[in-house]
Amino acid sequence: MFEASDLNERNRRVERLWRLLFLVMTVLLIVPVVVILSVLIHKGGPVLSIDFLFTEPVQGMTAGGIFPALVGTVWLVTVALLASVPIGVAAALYLSEYAPDNWLTRAINLAIINLAGVPSIVHALFGVGAFVLFFRFGTSILAASLTLAIMTLPVVIVATRESLQAVPQAFREACWNMGATRWQTIRRVVLPNSISGILTGVILEVSRTAGETAPIMFTGAAFFLPFLPQSVYDQTMAMSLHLFVISTQVPGVPEALPFGVALVLISMVLAMNAISIAFRMHLRSKKKW
Amino acid sequence: MRNRLALGVVVLLVLACGRPSGERGGRALIQNKGSDTLVNVAQAWAEAYKEVNPNVGIAVTGGGSGTGISAMINGTVDLANASRKMKDKELEAARANGIEPVEFVVGFDALAVFVHPDNPVEGFTRAQLAEIYGEGGSVEGWDQLGLAIPGCDSNEIVRVSRQNNSGTYVYFQEAVLGKERDFKLGSRDMHGSKDVVDLVENTPCAIGYSGLAYANEHVKMPCVSTSDNGTCVFPSSETAIDGSYPIARPLLMYSAGQPQGIVKVYLDWILSDAAQCIIQDKGYAPVRAVSCG
Repeated sequence: MFEASDLNERNRRVERLWRLLFLVMTVLLIVPVVVILSVLIHKGGPVLSIDFLFTEPVQGMTAGGIFPALVGTVWLVTVALLASVPIGVAAALYLSEYAPDNWLTRAINLAIINLAGVPSIVHALFGVGAFVLFFRFGTSILAASLTLAIMTLPVVIVATRESLQAVPQAFREACWNMGATRWQTIRRVVLPNSISGILTGVILEVSRTAGETAPIMFTGAAFFLPFLPQSVYDQTMAMSLHLFVISTQVPGVPEALPFGVALVLISMVLAMNAISIAFRMHLRSKKKW
Repeated sequence: MRNRLALGVVVLLVLACGRPSGERGGRALIQNKGSDTLVNVAQAWAEAYKEVNPNVGIAVTGGGSGTGISAMINGTVDLANASRKMKDKELEAARANGIEPVEFVVGFDALAVFVHPDNPVEGFTRAQLAEIYGEGGSVEGWDQLGLAIPGCDSNEIVRVSRQNNSGTYVYFQEAVLGKERDFKLGSRDMHGSKDVVDLVENTPCAIGYSGLAYANEHVKMPCVSTSDNGTCVFPSSETAIDGSYPIARPLLMYSAGQPQGIVKVYLDWILSDAAQCIIQDKGYAPVRAVSCG
């Protein structure tokens, strides 16, 4: 009675074909990741050691470790976070919780989208003009980190705003009906319920910041500086620029060295992402809806 | 909104005023930026200087001569590296910012032309070299230069050159062929100045070029003149230093004003024998003859 007609048969075949196509595309997506990681581990793995992480480069950067660059990247990322997170979260709170839907709000939203689309080299030049020259920070961690902060602000704002908006409106209304002010509502209900999303945004920002080269090249990162930074006014080496430099600028670098640096850099980023996922899962399990 | 913006500006200005200058906390930093030709030498100097004076850090940044010179004009570096002189316009711009750049010659990039010791050639004009090495150049055999070389029966000029990402290659191209002209195909491209000298030493038909520092007693270095009736000058530290040798350029460092304090000490050290041996070791000519261990 319900035997498959020819038409159904054909539909099902077409259906299988599409499904297969989409699956192949998805699998293709992971190929670069797997290839990159395996090449890095294969070629860079042998140079990794505790010494590699904790000594400085020697012999014209063709030997030795990456300690100043590693520490420099941590400085850059930390200062960038200190600058961008308070501003980004505050801006997102305003846009999500307070802003009326008028031309100003729409203009701000448009500006954020455009800020996210500005190429990093343009941010770099802005950083030189604004922080290095106008504010007279010189080429320093401060100038480089503020440049990075401006570049990553859109990520923080968008991630924060989205997780704020994921909190059901009913939660807020219930709170207001109890006589709470907007700030009390944000403080006690909205933020605790959206903190996992905000943190994810922040950590995504970290991983992006750690890998950026262009914005720090002119604003604070050095080709070679065998000292650890002592304050935000110092210049510093950084992992991403170090990788660029030893891959292209320095003669006689053993082949494994750049791969080792790349492996450490990518491990840092992946570790950050893993922490972010773990944290998110932990906080999610506490969510009340 | 406006208040917050104003607050931000105030915070930034406070940070700006807080920027300390010069020496502090037991360690001082010298900012050194510029020429990619010099960057590896600058790096080697910075690395070695750590042993000389552990309390002074040298922050080396590349980017090109123009990058270093702009930074000098903007007052963000103590020492700018350059493989060309500052233009008058750049000097004016620096003076407009209250900076008087002072030039120091820290080394030379002098390229010697090498031939086999049996080669009777006395010298080349720059035009002849361009015809030998340049794309579309007409000189293919030694007889075209009126030369017969014992042991070189084929008469073919065996061109020895460098791989194309070598600074020596690029400078030879600029100084001899002209910026727009490419090298002729079919040269033996070696991966090091020393390899060039080694090959020329063992090949009667060969011609090669390299930093003067790589010369040895088994190769002949002909003189080079800029034109047919110009003086033919032999490559040497002296002729590179006085500028009479045509394929040489000074490598420069500019300081912001007469160097003082740690910058002066560092510059003095760069001109010392120890540091000049380092630049020679990197394949450039030192500012004067030095004897290195």
